[in-house]
This record gives sequence, C-alpha cells and structure tokens, in this order.
Amino acid sequence: MTGPRVFTKRATLALRALDTTVEIETPEHVVFSCSLAGPARRALAYLIDLLVRGAIVAAIGVALSMASLGNAEMSGWKMGAFLILMFVLEWGYFVACESFMNGRSLGKRALGLRVVTQNGLPVSFGGSVLRNLLRAADFLPTGYAIGLLTMTFDPRFRRLGDWAADTMVIFEERPRLRDPIRLDPPPLPAELDQFPQRLDLPGPVLEALELFLRRAPELQTLREDELATMLASIYGERLQVRYKSASRFLGLLYARAVGEKSRVR
Amino acid sequence: MFDREAFVARRSPDWQELTLLLASDAPLAELSASRISRAASLYRAVCGDLMRARQTGSSADIVAYLDALTARAHNALYGSRRYALRGALRALLHGFPCAFRKHWRFMLVSALLFVVPLLVGWFGALHSPSFPASVLPLKTLEGLSQAYSEGFANGRSEQTDAAMTGFYVDNNVGIAFRCFATGILFGLGSAYYTLYNGLFVGTVFGFVQRAGHGRNLFTFVCGHSPFELTAIVIAGGAGLCMGAALISTEGYTRLGSLRRRASDLALLALGAAAMLFIAALIEAFWSPSSLPEPVKFGFSALAWLSVFGFLLFAGRPPKPRTVP
Repeated sequence: MTGPRVFTKRATLALRALDTTVEIETPEHVVFSCSLAGPARRALAYLIDLLVRGAIVAAIGVALSMASLGNAEMSGWKMGAFLILMFVLEWGYFVACESFMNGRSLGKRALGLRVVTQNGLPVSFGGSVLRNLLRAADFLPTGYAIGLLTMTFDPRFRRLGDWAADTMVIFEERPRLRDPIRLDPPPLPAELDQFPQRLDLPGPVLEALELFLRRAPELQTLREDELATMLASIYGERLQVRYKSASRFLGLLYARAVGEKSRVR
Repeated sequence: MFDREAFVARRSPDWQELTLLLASDAPLAELSASRISRAASLYRAVCGDLMRARQTGSSADIVAYLDALTARAHNALYGSRRYALRGALRALLHGFPCAFRKHWRFMLVSALLFVVPLLVGWFGALHSPSFPASVLPLKTLEGLSQAYSEGFANGRSEQTDAAMTGFYVDNNVGIAFRCFATGILFGLGSAYYTLYNGLFVGTVFGFVQRAGHGRNLFTFVCGHSPFELTAIVIAGGAGLCMGAALISTEGYTRLGSLRRRASDLALLALGAAAMLFIAALIEAFWSPSSLPEPVKFGFSALAWLSVFGFLLFAGRPPKPRTVP
C-alpha cells in the first residue's frame, strides 16, 4: 500500500548530552524541548493506575456478590461478567485511557505525564496498543525488570513497548510567567550612573544574573555573597565600579542592562 | 537584549488566548473551524516569540513558558486526529486479516510451533502415565481433571466455574499476550511461549482424556477454542514477525526496521486481542451452559469455519473485472 518510509528522525531530532530533555523540531523549524519522565515518576503513575483498576474491580466484585446473595441461579452469569471485566481492565485500560485522553492514563494525568511519539505528537491508537501489549515483555521476569533495565540504558527512558511503538513519556511542566525582578530598595539614579550607558551583556550572563537574583532571597547571606562575588568580581573590574555588596552590585548591573533598552525603545 | 516587560505585555494576550484554546484535552479537530484556524495562527506567532525570546537570551522563565506552550500547541495541532470507532472496526475487519495474510510465513511457523507440541503432549499424556508430570505439576493436572469430572447437564457449579474460568483466562490470555510481547527478545520469547503453551494444552487434553473425562472437556472447550487457539497462534506469529524485524533489518537500523513493521504488528496484536475477547465471552457464557452436545459441537464447527474464512478472505480487494 505504501512505499518504504524514510526515517529522518535522526536528522530532525537532536539529543542533548547528559540531560533529561529532548529537543523536537517542528515543521516551522522551531525547536522546543520536552522533559523526559524518569522511571520513578512513571512507577508512581503506574501505581496510581493499579490502584484505580483495583478499586474498579473491587467495587464491581462487591456489587456482583451482594446482588447474587438472594439468587444463586445467576452466579454463573455474574462470574462471566466479572471475568470479562477483568480481561478488559487488564488489557484495555491503558489503551482506552491513552487513546481518549491524548496519551494520559489517570495516573499519568495525576503526575503530569504524557505519552507522545518521538516527534512530540499524540500517540496513535495502534501505537498505544503496541506499547501497552508489550508490557507483558517489559514485565518479565517480574516487576517490570526488563522494562526498567532498558529504560536505564536508553537516553530517552524508553521501555521495550516504547521502542516498538516509537513513543516516549514526557513530563509536562506548566511553567508560569514570573513577575519581573524588582530591586529592594529600588536602584537610585546615583547608583546606576556608576555604570556605562551602553551595557551589552551577553544572553547567558543576563540569564545567570536573573537566576541568581530570583534565588537570592532564599539564600543565606554568606552563600549569597559567595555566589555573587563570582560574577561581580569580573564585572566590577571590567567596568571599574567599586561595590560594597556583591549581590547589590549584580542587581544594579541587571537593572542597568535591562533598563537601558527600555529607554531606547 | 530586549525589553522583557514590553515584550510580555504586548504578547501575553495571545499566549493566554492560545492557552485557553488548548485548555481542554479534547482533540483540536472537535473545535469549530474558526477556532482551529485561530489556534493555528496563534501557534505560529508563539513559535516566533519562542525563537525571539531564545535568541535574545531573555529571561529563562519566559523561554520555559513559551517552550511548554509551543510543545502543547504543536501536539494539539499536528496530531489532531479523532479516535473514531469506525477506524478501529475497519482495522479489525480489514487490516487485521490483510496483515495476517501478508505475514503468513510467520503464522505458519507459529502454528507449527503450537500444534506439534500440542500433539506431542496429547499423545504423550494419553499413552504414558509418567509423561504429564514432566510438563506440569501433578496437583494442577488432578485439579483440572477433577474439574471436568462432572458433566454439564445442570450447568457448572459455581465453585468449579470460578476456579476453571479463572485458571483459563489467566493462563491463556496472559500467555497469548506474552507470546506476542516477548517477540521483542529477537523472537525467542515468542517461540518459547508458543511451544510451551502448545505442550501445556496438549498435555492437559491428554491427561483429562486418559482420566476418562475427555467428553466433558471437549464439550467445554470446543466453543471457545477456535478463537482462543487461533489467537495464540496469531500472537505468537506476530511475535516472531517482530523478532525477525529486529534480526533481518534489510538495511534499516534495528529500530527503524521494527517501526516499519509496527503498524502490521499493532493490527495483528489488536486482532488477537479481539479474538481473545470473543473467546472469553464464549467461555464465560456459552461453554459452561447446559446445552446439548450436538449444539455445542455444531457451533464449534461453524466457529472454526468462520475464523478461517475470515482470516483467509476478509479484506481482500474486489477482483478486477476481466475483459473477455
């Protein structure tokens, strides 16, 4: 029906070394990154799903046995129904969940996980069938030992089922936009004027400054000073600015670098 | 560098609108056309924002936020396929038998791996008293034999019923899926489980028959075995097919070769699962009933015929009309 498919995933999907993120390039040539879900988080999600299934089986089992107390004739029929239910739950639960909830079972949903293809797209019905039936192989010899082993060796934490179905499990963070950084007390014009008018800090430095300033209130004074000095000593010397508090100096540096642009606009 | 505050203030209405459009986990295809196209253009704008934010080395939290938003929108836009029941039905009624015939060699090997040990186990257990114990613990066998010692004239008693069906479903369904799944161990697992399962079933048949309850056993299993045994063979064959894809890669990488077969494998697994489901239905409601023997055997013959008829003929393209 279709000719041989060409697999260009290697070309479009670059792996960053030693990180639990995977980068995906969209057809718009925009690259975004996803965090991969590790074995611990996935095991927890599995546990929740196990409990959910157990609860369903228990609830229906109790209901059926209560209903059959008065009427022994029906017991064969009920046993059959119970059996079918077990069968469907054991082999159909994950497929149904992943198909109707876009790659998430209830446990995955609770832990913010989602099954996606290697291209970051929703898992297909066939893919879901494959990856979930292969649980039988991942489970061997017991307790998902093989699955855990393959996950350990795979840069994307894939178990055998994920390999066959070409899927991976990602951790969907929902990062929020944070308020802009405000110095406390606000920078005085005299303080800012120590710095040059044009301050062209490279992106990574700006990012480091921002990370530090956001973290600074949580740090102890000594540690704050120690960290701040790393960068402050370099820029203090380069810009010929003297400072008392390294942390304050970095705050002013950041304010100047960011504020300068806004005035130009 | 760029002005973070102005950028966020200018663009965040769009980001929030896109977030709202993606809020429900429902496939995007279920939204109205205008909202889909709105989401698409918002997505492209956000792609631009992400690139810009990353390029200018702007705040890490903005990049992370846009990254996640892009990922979600990409997932929703490019994969918005509705899961239609019709598609699944078509896969079962059309794709499954086609995949079965396409990979008939594996099915044949799997059938041999299943049937030969089954016959060996059957005749071994029939003719040698010591043979069955080498396959299964005697206790299990005696329990099984005991279970079949009563006929079905009054239907099965509740206790036996529970024990038997529980045993069967656990064993056969579990093992059928294991036959398939362990194919990923280069086909070895499939071969092993298919072979062992054949031997197991054959030995049980032989042992129970030798104990003199053969008639009861066969009236019980004849209804669901057409579906169950065939499903085991198909699952095993699909497993072998998966193993073969990993061994003989035909110039692809091992994973690439596996992926090439993935859709066929999914069809076969789905088909086997559906057949096991039918088998479980019959096993639960039909097999333990007190219907007369001829009815049960007649049903069984019909079931075998329809299973083979389905696998061999369903989903074939209509014959091209020949011009005389």
